[in-house]
Amino acid sequence: MTGTPRFAHASEAELARILDYYKVEWQYEPRTFPIRWNAEGMVTESFAPDFYLPELDMYLELTTLKQSLVRKKNRKLRYLRELYPMIRIKLFYARDFKALMLKYGRLDAAASLIGIEGQPPPKKTVATAVEEADVSAA
Amino acid sequence: MPASALEQDVAEVLIDEATLQAKVAELGALISADYEGRQVTLVSVLKGALPFMADLMRAISIAVRIDLMEVSSYGSGTESSGRVRILKDLSSSIEDKHVLIVEDIIDTGLTLNYLTQYLGGKQPASLGICTLLDKPARRLVEIDLDYRGFEIPDRFVIGYGLDYDEIYRNLPYIGVLRPEVYEGA
Repeated sequence: MTGTPRFAHASEAELARILDYYKVEWQYEPRTFPIRWNAEGMVTESFAPDFYLPELDMYLELTTLKQSLVRKKNRKLRYLRELYPMIRIKLFYARDFKALMLKYGRLDAAASLIGIEGQPPPKKTVATAVEEADVSAA
Repeated sequence: MPASALEQDVAEVLIDEATLQAKVAELGALISADYEGRQVTLVSVLKGALPFMADLMRAISIAVRIDLMEVSSYGSGTESSGRVRILKDLSSSIEDKHVLIVEDIIDTGLTLNYLTQYLGGKQPASLGICTLLDKPARRLVEIDLDYRGFEIPDRFVIGYGLDYDEIYRNLPYIGVLRPEVYEGA
């Protein structure tokens, strides 16, 4: 892709480097899917998967954060699959990321990349804004 | 390091030698039947697939040619801004040839995805994939496999060509590496 986006997490930046390395085209958070609406039909919750791989027509969501957020992400993914059954999406957990780093001999880097913010995101998506609101309300 | 010392690092034997050899014979018979009347070029990907390639080619009863490739891997020894490179290319043309890629293991599918695109660009008559091990839990890129030896669980495996830090390739079976080995590295 042209230009490097500002990734929300260092693990996302690392995954982007791996995809680049193997010449797999990707887009970062190109689409936000509404998943919940209120009685007035207003969107109350959305989900913006981290990566879209256009050649493979597949989304990737990287979840290397703490368990409470993983549960939240699993719930969102379930809604997404129910509402958009044609969408192909794969959830990549911390253990998957750690295994990927082990495969590439970078296990030492995994610990420093999981669960930390790499760079501030360029803009707040509906999904992240809702997620942050959920967390602060919890 | 003697084999006994290597084996201290094996948590368990996942696929023993006899089971491996039986599966290789089965795959060889399948490939021989499917490609009967045609000549197939087996393309092995260094270094992990070498033992499997050596056994598989001897289990195939039709005429085969072999060739070897080596592809760089992300991670140690590569600059993070780099791109995958062909470290060793084919020795001869595969144009209009029936080609079967012989792999030791497919997990993410990233290397194989690159390789199939690269070899597909060389206009082979057909391009198939034979892998000894398939770890679908780790798949990032979906790949259509023509021949698959074993589907394995999501564990770090070594032996029969598979390594950790270039060691353990000479174990005659597929084993699970003790986590303490890489977690303590």
